[in-house]
Amino acid sequence: MNTDLNIVGKRVVRSDSLAKVTGEARYTADLRLPNMLVGKVLRSPYPHARIVRIDLTRALKVPGVKAAVSGFDAYGIKWGVFRYTQDHAMLPTDKVRYIGEDVAAVAAIDEETALEALSHIKVDYETLPAVFDPIESMKDGAPQIHDEHKNNINIHVHIDVGEVDKAMREAFIVREDTFKAAGEAYAMMEPYAVVASYKNGFLDLWMPNAGPHVRAKALSNLLKMPLNKVRVRHINSGGAFGGRSEVAPADLVASLLSIKAGRPVKLVLSREENATSSRQIHDIIATIKTGMKKDGTIVAKDYKVIYNGGAYSSTGPIATSIPFYVYEECYRFPNVRYNGYRVFTNKGIRGMYGCHGRAFLAGNEAQMDLMARELGIDPAEIRLKNGLTPGEVTATKSKITSCGLKETIETASERTDFKKQWAKRSRNKGIGMGCVAIMCGFPMGFRSGSSCYVKINDDGQVTIVTGLVDNGQGNESMVIQVASEVLGIPMGDINLVCADTEVTNLDPGSYSQAAAFVGANAVKVACENARKRIVAIAAEKLGVAETDIGLKDRMAYVVKEPDKKMPISWVVREAFFRGDPIVATGSFFPNIDFEREWVSRPWGQMAGTFSFGTSVAEVTIDPETGKVTIPRFTAAHDCGCPINPMAVEGQMEGSILQAGVATITEGNLWDKGHLLNPDLLEYKVPLACDMPEMDTIIVSSRDPAGPFGAKEGGLTVRMNAYSAVACAVANATGALFEELPLTPDRVLKIMETKKGVKK
Amino acid sequence: MILPQFEYHKVQSVAGAIALYRKYKGKARYCAGGTDLIPLLKQRLSAPAAVIDLKGIDELKTITRRKGVLIIGANVTLFDLKNDPIVREHFPALFQSLDATSCETLQMRGTIGGNILQDTRCIQYNKSLEWRTSRGFCFKMGGKACNVVLNAQACFSNYCSDNAPALITLSAKVRLKGLKGERTVDLEKIFSGNGKAPFTVEPGEVLTAILIPLKKTEGVYEKLRVRDSMDYPLVDAAVSMAGGKARVCIGGIGPAPRLYVIKNMDENTIRDTADKAYADAKPVANTTISAAYRKKMVSTLVKRAIKRVLKEGGR
Amino acid sequence: MKTVKVTIQVNNEENVLQVKPYETLLETLRERLALTGAKESCGMGACGACTVLVNGIPLRSCLVLTAEVDGADITTIEGLMKDGKLHPLQEAFMEKGAVQCGFCTSGMIMTAKALLDRNKRPTKKEIVRTISSNICRCTGYKKIIEAVEEAGKK
Repeated sequence: MNTDLNIVGKRVVRSDSLAKVTGEARYTADLRLPNMLVGKVLRSPYPHARIVRIDLTRALKVPGVKAAVSGFDAYGIKWGVFRYTQDHAMLPTDKVRYIGEDVAAVAAIDEETALEALSHIKVDYETLPAVFDPIESMKDGAPQIHDEHKNNINIHVHIDVGEVDKAMREAFIVREDTFKAAGEAYAMMEPYAVVASYKNGFLDLWMPNAGPHVRAKALSNLLKMPLNKVRVRHINSGGAFGGRSEVAPADLVASLLSIKAGRPVKLVLSREENATSSRQIHDIIATIKTGMKKDGTIVAKDYKVIYNGGAYSSTGPIATSIPFYVYEECYRFPNVRYNGYRVFTNKGIRGMYGCHGRAFLAGNEAQMDLMARELGIDPAEIRLKNGLTPGEVTATKSKITSCGLKETIETASERTDFKKQWAKRSRNKGIGMGCVAIMCGFPMGFRSGSSCYVKINDDGQVTIVTGLVDNGQGNESMVIQVASEVLGIPMGDINLVCADTEVTNLDPGSYSQAAAFVGANAVKVACENARKRIVAIAAEKLGVAETDIGLKDRMAYVVKEPDKKMPISWVVREAFFRGDPIVATGSFFPNIDFEREWVSRPWGQMAGTFSFGTSVAEVTIDPETGKVTIPRFTAAHDCGCPINPMAVEGQMEGSILQAGVATITEGNLWDKGHLLNPDLLEYKVPLACDMPEMDTIIVSSRDPAGPFGAKEGGLTVRMNAYSAVACAVANATGALFEELPLTPDRVLKIMETKKGVKK
Repeated sequence: MILPQFEYHKVQSVAGAIALYRKYKGKARYCAGGTDLIPLLKQRLSAPAAVIDLKGIDELKTITRRKGVLIIGANVTLFDLKNDPIVREHFPALFQSLDATSCETLQMRGTIGGNILQDTRCIQYNKSLEWRTSRGFCFKMGGKACNVVLNAQACFSNYCSDNAPALITLSAKVRLKGLKGERTVDLEKIFSGNGKAPFTVEPGEVLTAILIPLKKTEGVYEKLRVRDSMDYPLVDAAVSMAGGKARVCIGGIGPAPRLYVIKNMDENTIRDTADKAYADAKPVANTTISAAYRKKMVSTLVKRAIKRVLKEGGR
Repeated sequence: MKTVKVTIQVNNEENVLQVKPYETLLETLRERLALTGAKESCGMGACGACTVLVNGIPLRSCLVLTAEVDGADITTIEGLMKDGKLHPLQEAFMEKGAVQCGFCTSGMIMTAKALLDRNKRPTKKEIVRTISSNICRCTGYKKIIEAVEEAGKK
């Protein structure tokens, strides 16, 4: 830890927490604007059907109804994150593609009236054959969900590096397994909500989002409105986890209703709607073939991974790629082939997830352990042997700069006495390890960078303005902490304006793990630029060189004679007198290869840097019921430098719940197109009593480009915790899992039909 | 999620409740803690013209002992009942089932009467009106088929009270007061075995009290669930033992709990009981966990519960 | 439909209201009294985000009819500060980093308050049992447990 830092690296109270513990923090559903109406959506009861006619006339006659809309009131534009994925009208006019899809909507004076009006909307459908299983969907003759995608293949990512077949032939040991995992639910505590207010040609919007600028852009396209007329405003977000990254049908619906009614409209989804009709998470089938040398060196990997994408593209190309990349950023693969298919089915839309890819990642790690065991190597050793080190380049040509993978493996092993425990496994007890690396930001074109504006006000307090978003992880507090460090002004004196498209600049948002590495970097640069101005005046006034000035506790002081000092507010006022107030901007743009494209050119520098992490789970299995408990969980994460260690720990602990314990509890259940657990009772978000003792270890590899050396804070645990649990269960049972989650029925089956090692 | 329209009445006496029920011609629902009823109303699984709140009836809130019987008012909360020294001392199976019910906060609201008379559940039933309309109405919703089992003739919804199986092992009776007067019946007799209408309770009858013979028992409650709080049982087994005889009750599978009486506690009888319970259990795919597994767990839980009673007396 | 007259004390303030007979306490608090600290997350009693104290007892306000609690004394998260000072639980939640997205926080604090009100120094086990009534998607609960422990010591 840098000892010369005053506040970065300290366990500070988050700036947003006071409003949250007093109940004063406002979320979208808490907003109340004058004359506001309530919006409600009529949803498709069919998984696949042609829309023949939508008749809103009777609904409009219900007293108290002020507007009703369907896709025929929109502009026939389809949104897609990429030019080649523009397939989502948000309110369809051709056909519905999943149960729960938005079809029409009303705005009324209250919810009861709106519900009443929905029952008077008449929609004529012609039902079509539907398909729910991605394997079935890829077959010739399966119902075609989008005309332009043959065999319902939405995205095919093909990566081929080296000579995979040759390397497999020459490998000492080769193993191929298929792993499945149910898609999860984000289950953010805040059900999706939008407030749209259209006035004087301007549309103001509030909704939980992970990037206001991309949201505004999407809506400006969909509504054919100039971008400057669509303003996405700041609001607290009750959790996102990847599920609030993209424009949502509800955004378009609320906007159209407000435009039509000329009044603000609030649309709040029920918990069930949030599950069926906002975003869900891909279920995955991963076939993994691995070749190893006798000494455990991985010589080749060959992958076929099928992602059930639901009805629309969403972030398809990214979702089809990320599990592979976070793995190749962790291990050395001289020869690797990846075929990722994202397949359309008549199910809800699948988006990116903080824990995305568990079948693939846990499958890889569990399979590696089994192969290592056969070779007489333990899991820690084989990970160290194959793990990337600083300066290495990944299979798809990303250079690794700072890298604490080795340290995370070693510390997590030491803390858990891993080698000994792994060797003495019993039928009821196991220990397992999972590793991964995470890109801190990924290529998003001109949106990959961030910039910040800072002004120092007349009493020496500060306002910083940035596009950065907080979905609950503490990004707002983090940048205030960074500004405080640079300017020598306490956090309480710093106001933040963020995530408001009217006043803040472009930012990657909080869905590519870029907030610390990119967003906070921009804030740091802006504050450093402001600092230079303060220091120049202070040096002049105190009669010393600029290099001798320090800033701390609202004072500018001479470093060698700390008694020689003046308040920063004096400096600021002096600047005002000089007609040159202290304002500054700063930007950060990561070193990314912008020629890189997810499908057409899957190589080049993926991100400015990468974080690394190792999780170790200890499990106990009830041999009679198959119920797994996790008494202890250890996670080591290389975040570069923890700006607020308490916040980083919080991310790691949350990840242990959401990825780790979820491995034994969470998964969406389906009956064809019907989601069977769209609630918080049958969808099993772990409770306090289900949590292990948690030991979080922060490793600081000091990234040369990160702000104070920081990278992202905690996501590795979100992508390796399930591996640790799956490996621990494999350690106990001596067999690989076939499908996640590891519910007691599945574990008992594994124990009964133990799968041996094959060559 | 907003509730549908209904009128609300708080009554001070059981007679008052019954009179109101009569006034609404049966289109009324009694409400105690509401933790089961309110979600049903929100999902439009029940559409009464009126909700008759029983919480104002003081006589339903007491626990008394009379002539060797513990009389528990139906409105005693699960939390208060759990913390009653007699329950802890005499009825360990019940203590454990109360402790395992839902979560602490809901134990403070939910009542023992309401817990017993909770509706049966199914993963295809406890859903919004929109969801169920899309899926098609099943038997329990007044439809013509079961959405879980193809060509089924009956409803397989599960009775998920944690406490009724424990109470049955304690030979509990329930007192019901209705339009035709008062009656006291064995708890296990109030189940129809039909998931569509799981109780033999007459329309308008109020469950007023639970009566348990006041003798010391040894007992255990075993519950299988994914999370250790909040979850309903996927299958559960209660055992209470006194004087060398044991009563075993299985819940969570199908619309009625099933009672098994063991007269001699020997290894063979225990195994036979587990086998019989296993054979009787007919779980279907209407929970988050597979039916075959739940069936298998019936005998596992029975054996485990009995083993625990014999070993630790349920303490 | 006829409305029902209720008198409820909310955070020591008397409110005489005409409410719908089928109105939940959560709706009354949020829509009529603009006390939006209690959140609707599941609306079915499965998450605890709407927990408030009714006569000192923690209840899921989404499952309670306002008509039922006529005459009751209700405390919401907005009523925890006394004379401008935070409740020890509020302080501890901040200091221990027990707050992330904040959507479960008010329900979690109210649930914990009911525990501390009846048991000043709960054990960790008792805290875990109590807060297993509420879902938090962000924190993994560790810092929440620590915060309740800490508040118990204050």
